[in-house]
Amino acid sequence: MKPPRHPEVRAKRASKGDGAQANKKPKKLDAVTLEVIRNALPAIANEMAADLQRTSYNMMIYEVRDFCTSLVNTRGELIAQNVGGVSHFVADLGVIVTDGLARYGAKGFAEGDVIITNHQAVAGQHLNNIVIYMPYFYKGELLLFAMVRAHWIDVGGMSTGFGAGPSVADPWLEGLQLDQLKIYQAGKRNETLYRVLKDNIRFPESSLGDMKSQMAACRLALRRMSELFDKYGRDTVLDAIAQIFAETERKCRNVVEKLKDGVYEAASFIDHDGVKRDERVPIHAKVSIDRGSMIIDLSRCSAERKAAINSRTYAAARVAYKALTGPLEPVNEGSFRALKVIIPEGSVMMARYPAPMAGWSVIVPTVVDTIIKALGPAMTDRVPAGHHGLLGGSIVFFGVHPQTKRRFVVQSIEGGGWGGRPAEDGESATVSVCQGDVRNASIEGIELKCPVIIERRALRIDSGGAGKHRGGLGLDTCVRNLVDGRWNFDHPRREQCPPWGLWGGQPGSHGDFLLRLPGENDFRSMEAPHYPVPVDAEVIVRTGGGGGWGNPLERDAASVRNDVIEQLVSRRVAAETYGVVLRDDLTLDEAATAARRNALRSAAKRGSGQ
Amino acid sequence: MIVVAIDIGGTFTDLVGFDAKAGRFVEAKSLTTPRELTRGVLDCMRKSGLDAAAVDELIHGSTIAINTLIERTGAKTGLIVTSGTRDVYIVGRGNRPEAYNLFFHRHRPLVPRHLTCEVEERLTSAGDIFRPLNKASVAEACRTLAAAGVEAIAVCLLHSYVDPTHERTVGTMASAALPHAYLSLSHDILREYREFERLSTTVVNAYIGPRVGGYVKNLKSELAAAGFAGELSIMRSNGGVMTPEVATARPVAMMESGPVGGIIASARVGQKLGFANVISFDMGGTTAKTSLVRDGEPTLAPGYYVGGYASGHPVMLPMIDVIEVGAGGGSIAWTDDVGALKVGPRSAGADPGPICYRGGGSEPTITDANVALGRLDPHNFLGGELVLDAGAACAGIAHKIAKPLGMDAVAASQAILQIAIAKMALAVREVSVAKGYDPRDFALVASGGAGPLHVCAIARELHIPKVIVPLFPSHFSALGMLLADERHDFIRTFYCDLASLDFKALAAVHDEMAAEAKKALRHAERAAWQIALDLRYVGQEFTLPVPVTREAIKQADRQKIRAAFDALYEHRYAHQSPDEPVEMVNIRLAAIGKRPTLRFPKLAARKNAKPARRRSVYLGDSRQPLTCPVYQRGELGAGARIKGPALIEEHGTTTVLFAADRCTLAPSGELIIDVGGTR
Repeated sequence: MKPPRHPEVRAKRASKGDGAQANKKPKKLDAVTLEVIRNALPAIANEMAADLQRTSYNMMIYEVRDFCTSLVNTRGELIAQNVGGVSHFVADLGVIVTDGLARYGAKGFAEGDVIITNHQAVAGQHLNNIVIYMPYFYKGELLLFAMVRAHWIDVGGMSTGFGAGPSVADPWLEGLQLDQLKIYQAGKRNETLYRVLKDNIRFPESSLGDMKSQMAACRLALRRMSELFDKYGRDTVLDAIAQIFAETERKCRNVVEKLKDGVYEAASFIDHDGVKRDERVPIHAKVSIDRGSMIIDLSRCSAERKAAINSRTYAAARVAYKALTGPLEPVNEGSFRALKVIIPEGSVMMARYPAPMAGWSVIVPTVVDTIIKALGPAMTDRVPAGHHGLLGGSIVFFGVHPQTKRRFVVQSIEGGGWGGRPAEDGESATVSVCQGDVRNASIEGIELKCPVIIERRALRIDSGGAGKHRGGLGLDTCVRNLVDGRWNFDHPRREQCPPWGLWGGQPGSHGDFLLRLPGENDFRSMEAPHYPVPVDAEVIVRTGGGGGWGNPLERDAASVRNDVIEQLVSRRVAAETYGVVLRDDLTLDEAATAARRNALRSAAKRGSGQ
Repeated sequence: MIVVAIDIGGTFTDLVGFDAKAGRFVEAKSLTTPRELTRGVLDCMRKSGLDAAAVDELIHGSTIAINTLIERTGAKTGLIVTSGTRDVYIVGRGNRPEAYNLFFHRHRPLVPRHLTCEVEERLTSAGDIFRPLNKASVAEACRTLAAAGVEAIAVCLLHSYVDPTHERTVGTMASAALPHAYLSLSHDILREYREFERLSTTVVNAYIGPRVGGYVKNLKSELAAAGFAGELSIMRSNGGVMTPEVATARPVAMMESGPVGGIIASARVGQKLGFANVISFDMGGTTAKTSLVRDGEPTLAPGYYVGGYASGHPVMLPMIDVIEVGAGGGSIAWTDDVGALKVGPRSAGADPGPICYRGGGSEPTITDANVALGRLDPHNFLGGELVLDAGAACAGIAHKIAKPLGMDAVAASQAILQIAIAKMALAVREVSVAKGYDPRDFALVASGGAGPLHVCAIARELHIPKVIVPLFPSHFSALGMLLADERHDFIRTFYCDLASLDFKALAAVHDEMAAEAKKALRHAERAAWQIALDLRYVGQEFTLPVPVTREAIKQADRQKIRAAFDALYEHRYAHQSPDEPVEMVNIRLAAIGKRPTLRFPKLAARKNAKPARRRSVYLGDSRQPLTCPVYQRGELGAGARIKGPALIEEHGTTTVLFAADRCTLAPSGELIIDVGGTR
């Protein structure tokens, strides 16, 4: 490839700055320049993402899209981030930059430096999430960093894949801890560090290949930023960024200003943390709205746990806020300026090092859902019932193929049901609110690479919560292993707090892991990390259904009938819960339906003591 | 010999014909008649004055396939799948591309769940029988579908791309049980792994099959009734044409044929003028489309999503790679709630249309901005067929854009165009820079009613030194169809390490594909063949198609193939790993039936060009209007040179030259523009 020739330098006022980001007095920019730069910045982040995905070596990146690509300035403010991948990475790289600058100083970076970090004291996520970043200098001045966080398939420790579940007691058991290390210094690789990495992870060719892809994506961003700065000049670009932040903030405020001021609360819980099994993990959200500003206070969520479900993240609050204020707009620092998040030190989501974080994100979707539920009364037309709330539903089965002697890992994220919505049913078998363009692995793709047979990937009848707008259905994915290996059964732990209904809708059914050994008749529920199974065992990865929205007795009888024909709802549930009576040929018995619905309504009234 | 192309678009049906003996072009345009598409075709023939009986070849592009899907007017379709996979079609990949949208929805299935039947059978990924086919379960499925009265059946069994035996047996039993139903077997449509995408492609084919098949049959008979006795070809999404028989069996292949014609034409026109590398830029009423042509070959994408990636139907057949942005003549300019100026993607369309059309439109559009700046002549639009209201356009822009932004109408109009140009430039970047190509090595070919108006500004933005405005820029898609070769693409998943690749087995698979291709080709004797292997580093998912020859396969030239992959990878991603193992995933074969080259007439030489008149026009971001010469394209001769600033008007479009731009007329009549201010 030819090296890109840089477009003509047209900088009008290339002044020497002091490294500060926006200028003291941002100039009002013309509408055109502003709009062009507004479009160009997310385009760079998205181009980084596309390249990373296409060149990566592990399905967590190319299918699960468990990564983010970002541009962050030297104040730790998010300039642009890719869209579409894992949502809980939203705007979470600023702390890495602030910490890196504290470590090395503003003068401690050189062109060609590549920094690698995953240390939980600052990053606050599981160690598989490796951040690679590179400084960007324009005419000798450090202006920003190009950054890629991506899930490596292995970082050493006691298990491969998604860490080893809640029982990982500390970060040393989890894997290699890398604390803001320069893997390249001014373009020269640190061979010692490289060897340490190579010798201490299980799939070095995969992860070091991914590192190469992460670096290439960063370099691409640096080239694109140079083109932008050369064309418009340093000050114009920085002014535009400041103005884009301000306008984004304004847009969010405009949405929140329409909501009634007040304090809104909701609570939920996880059955237990996986270690201390007799204690719920409480989740609570208090949302205050005051003239366009929002405060999301998560103080009454659980304190940090001995089980590895801790994190340091604002993700739950930010994902909820983004979904409610501007779901389709690109993300930047302005997206969250009108939001204040309160999470005290020592909370399960603001845990102190070395609290274990191997399963850092598992509770986050439920927290997001709880925040959204709190706002239900404030925005009745924008809030769905609860969704399955699980990051997992995941297949993780691994071993060594007896013929080829190659290690293999079967991985896939299976979706569950989403809650009914104010105007329509919830989607079935879809990934959680913290996962965007996260794709399940294709059956044929899995079987080409790994010695298993996927026997079934099927919707579960009656798993969606009943409602005027029905919750989506959960999924059963059944895997038969053709060689022995180990399963991670990371149980969803939402049996006692299943996906909730809203406005009279019923809850969806919960998820599970089920195992049947060869020769056994029945499946049994499992919860165990890297559990060994013999050849020909069968495992069902079961995901929950979504909650229903509104009273099921108000659901249009024709829709209930259609659900029965489509085998999404059984005839029994149609009659018992929806009060819709069908004849044997599945035609609607209108008289019986009216009578049945009346009876159910009166029973409900009696039940509620009215 | 007389060759005719007829292209049905959203608004117009276009005809371009060429009489090789007389060396003469014929063109015609009529309104598209959505309910009765064939009538539009025959209307156009009549308008052109051509005698159907004298036409030797007719190439046809139609929106019938895509409309049947988008309007959901296809057949009642049933689906037969491997047991355990009934919900693969509904579940898809379980993803939510709009990550923060609580109200997202995925594709809406074309087959209801109760018409999806499972049959008992199972292959492994190696093609071994894990469970034999239970014929009783097939018979049961056929009974269910027959009782429901389905008109079409799709069959997609797991791993049928390795061994289609089970799928064929199911197909045979289904056609015996439902002899009138249209049948699509997944391995016939797409012999590649990934069950959801193959299934979706097969279902789309079955769903649109009966209607498209009926359309093709009807078209043939009506053309025959009009006296046509020549060869009929149908345009397809991969940039080639196919026989009506292939179109009837694989209608899904014509799904995206609309934008393709213009890209083929760009490639051919570029080549003829000595520019093998061009970027086509087609700007119509609602969108602008751009695509890259390298060494005279359009770039193919391996598949696409009808209705968009987030909620669309995957169709994994090769399609010319097009990037489309919501910036066309009718795209609406607006200010958002924080006062930022935006253009598109909403369009005023043809109805009510831009303000200046006086059809009731009140939202300012790109066309209105062009009229307000004097770049479009209100009295010479579509040859004067439609008189535009410049005053209303200015007033609308002043009211909706200029006032809220605190500027005057001229500045607001300029701002609208600049934002549109920046958007379109980003799209051109996406097909070039983002894939490792430097746009400065390409010429930009402009078409569509609005393309020539904006092309020089876009070229300047990207430092593209040459612009070509071809003949018939507003009939360009039909012209491209006239020039398209016959083309059939085949794929087979063939998964193995490159190091242990069995070249003999690969050659056998290749020969099987070639035999299939020969059956589909109308003129197999003129065929050219392209083979590519989809390769990747072990552990990766995405592949790059590496061109190889039949010879390289025969000689088992592992090293050469390997080196070609590393080099391609380096070009695309700017790094490579020559020490890492490489694996093969698919083999692709394209069979290209060359059609005879048409020798277009030369334009009479006339070196000096005289402006027809002068008009006051705002160009660039100048605050002062220029008195600008206006040329009529029809009056220009070969070799004429025109210095910008200038306007060159023709029926259906206007080319805008800025001060530094220099235009020369090619001997065959194209405008070749040296774009000023690039390097």
